[in-house]
Amino acid sequence: MSGGDVLAILQGAVVTVTLSLFGILIGLPIGLALAVLRWADVPVLARIVAAYVSILRATPLITLLLLLFFALPNIGIAIGPISAAILALVMNTAAFNCEVWRASLMNFPKDQYEAAQSVGMSATLRFRRIVLPQIARTSLPGLVNEMSLLIKVTPVLAVVGVVDITRAAVRIGAETYDPLPPFLVAVALYAPIVFVLVSLQRWIERRQLLAEAAA
Amino acid sequence: MADGSKVLDVAGVSKRFGALEVLSDISFQVEKGETVCVLGPSGSGKSTLLRCINWLERPDAGQVYLNGTEIGVNGAGVVMSDRELSRIRTRIGMVFQHFALWPHLTVLQNLMEAPVQVQRRPTAEVRDEALALLAKVGLVDKRDTFPAKLSGGQKQRVGIARALAMRPDLLLFDEPTSALDPELVGEVLVVMRELAREGRTMVVVTHEMGFARDAATRIMFLDRGRMVETGSPERFFTNPETERARQFLQRYAGDAANGKR
Amino acid sequence: MIRDFGIVWSERDLLLSGLGNTTILSLLSAIAALLIGFALTPALMTRQRALGWIARGFVDGMRCVPFLLFAYIVYYGLPSLGIRLDNWTSGLVALTIYNAAYMAEILRGAWAAQPREPIEAGVAFGFSNIGLFRRIVLPPLLLAAGPVIGNQMIQIVKDSAFLTIIALPELTHAASSIQSRHYVPFAAFITAVFLYWGLCLVIEAGVSSVDRLAAARR
Repeated sequence: MSGGDVLAILQGAVVTVTLSLFGILIGLPIGLALAVLRWADVPVLARIVAAYVSILRATPLITLLLLLFFALPNIGIAIGPISAAILALVMNTAAFNCEVWRASLMNFPKDQYEAAQSVGMSATLRFRRIVLPQIARTSLPGLVNEMSLLIKVTPVLAVVGVVDITRAAVRIGAETYDPLPPFLVAVALYAPIVFVLVSLQRWIERRQLLAEAAA
Repeated sequence: MADGSKVLDVAGVSKRFGALEVLSDISFQVEKGETVCVLGPSGSGKSTLLRCINWLERPDAGQVYLNGTEIGVNGAGVVMSDRELSRIRTRIGMVFQHFALWPHLTVLQNLMEAPVQVQRRPTAEVRDEALALLAKVGLVDKRDTFPAKLSGGQKQRVGIARALAMRPDLLLFDEPTSALDPELVGEVLVVMRELAREGRTMVVVTHEMGFARDAATRIMFLDRGRMVETGSPERFFTNPETERARQFLQRYAGDAANGKR
Repeated sequence: MIRDFGIVWSERDLLLSGLGNTTILSLLSAIAALLIGFALTPALMTRQRALGWIARGFVDGMRCVPFLLFAYIVYYGLPSLGIRLDNWTSGLVALTIYNAAYMAEILRGAWAAQPREPIEAGVAFGFSNIGLFRRIVLPPLLLAAGPVIGNQMIQIVKDSAFLTIIALPELTHAASSIQSRHYVPFAAFITAVFLYWGLCLVIEAGVSSVDRLAAARR
């Protein structure tokens, strides 16, 4: 494996990180919106969200990606590999994030909410200043966990031609007839990123536990 | 009433945890039908002593004999295997401070589990005996209930029935009422008094001075791992020999003198 | 569109065979992963430092590696070391080893949350070794860990779809094949999505019954 090969894999890493960030940043607020729709029990929409989340959580990302990549052009929507990749990531992670946010919302102490109502706060204000800061805190470990899971499924994007870490490694392996070294380099790139996120999650959980114990 | 055969013989048992000597050279014997109450301040090693009897803790020195058979070391002088220990343990019934009922089994199943699985007794016979024991402790109607749905006092009565279901030669009680709310203690002590009255051989670690005074045939007082004093309840509670015992009773004498439980 | 689904229906044997392979693969892998997990958990909690390190390293390592990459390594990479496995064996091995790490972590967490006294009571009443494990330790452990193990099984089903890249004839592979031959991508993949959904609903129903047993005893 030459230096050029390693560079190619590093370029793939840039793609991996960029697409992951897109997925995470877009998926987070969408997940929250879905969770609020269910929590507020908006007629019809709440049911649709429930079905959507249930199906998306049961669908392998690769199947979803193939569906989007091949089916959308078929019904007239032109979509390239990168857009299909981001769409698949967002649809997937939003569904999982929705459940994390929803768990926090359901565990939100009702009396705080009622107290905000009784001082005349509007629904938006109630949500923005009372509910959101607290559920953001309780959701954090679950959301960070979901981020680490997202990074771990990004290799699937290689299947539709996105040149991420995995596809770069596979290509080099095919060219050099020596697949193991580029794969190991790929592992060496994924592992630290995931490890940082997992450690972050554990650190957040520990800090929250301590804060609760002190309170 | 006590007769001549020694059910339990503890000889020179010592136990240390790290640098701390929890038990120092404890020796005593229990005859059939005796109810021995082990008293002492926290940290005196009472629970550890009990657990050394059935080798839940392994003594660092000394021997323990049940009806003449040594526990923990077999005839060849080798430490017993789990299976050999298991055989002896089935002859000792233990009641735990936190009940230790098996949560996945109903009350009746809790009573039947060890007699059927370990002692390999026929199921029908075990079942009949278990129901009789539940009647004895007043919990027949709870036989198909899971332990989580019971009160503390009910759990402990089940625990006692479970120990009795093994037809043990010796009963060990490890602070059986210490984890109970005060109003639930009485129902458990009633059962224990009855067992003592029936002539069961019992070693009871407890803080219930009233029970010790009324039901015990002998008191053993432990302090910092040593057996400081031993004797009849009358003498121990009215005229203790040692200073440590006197100090201990000062703190607890109130309960016994007021005739509580 | 109806015509498309008609084509998919005509290929239902291939889809069902794919579903069958997904189910068998996931089931075998889940059971094997759970068994290996049981063997790993004591290693995770041992006081012997070297063994504990290796176990912890393995578990943390598997949790940091993407499964698809791991499957590639098992299928394409191992031949460099002289180990050549066919795609079925590679898939099963990769899926099993990867999830064994997760199962070990799940079991460790569930074990740590178990109270010690009922087990001690088991010992005091004469239970030992296999009997103690089977009748006293295991049932409450499985009741507590049921939901989490169920979630992991759903994860295994989804991971199995990655194995299409090593040409394992599971469900996604079947749908891809139908799609590429008949140009009915939407019908083919949507059908696959609903079949995955159905499989997961079955697993969730199983988890619910275990949870009902657990709730009665709580």
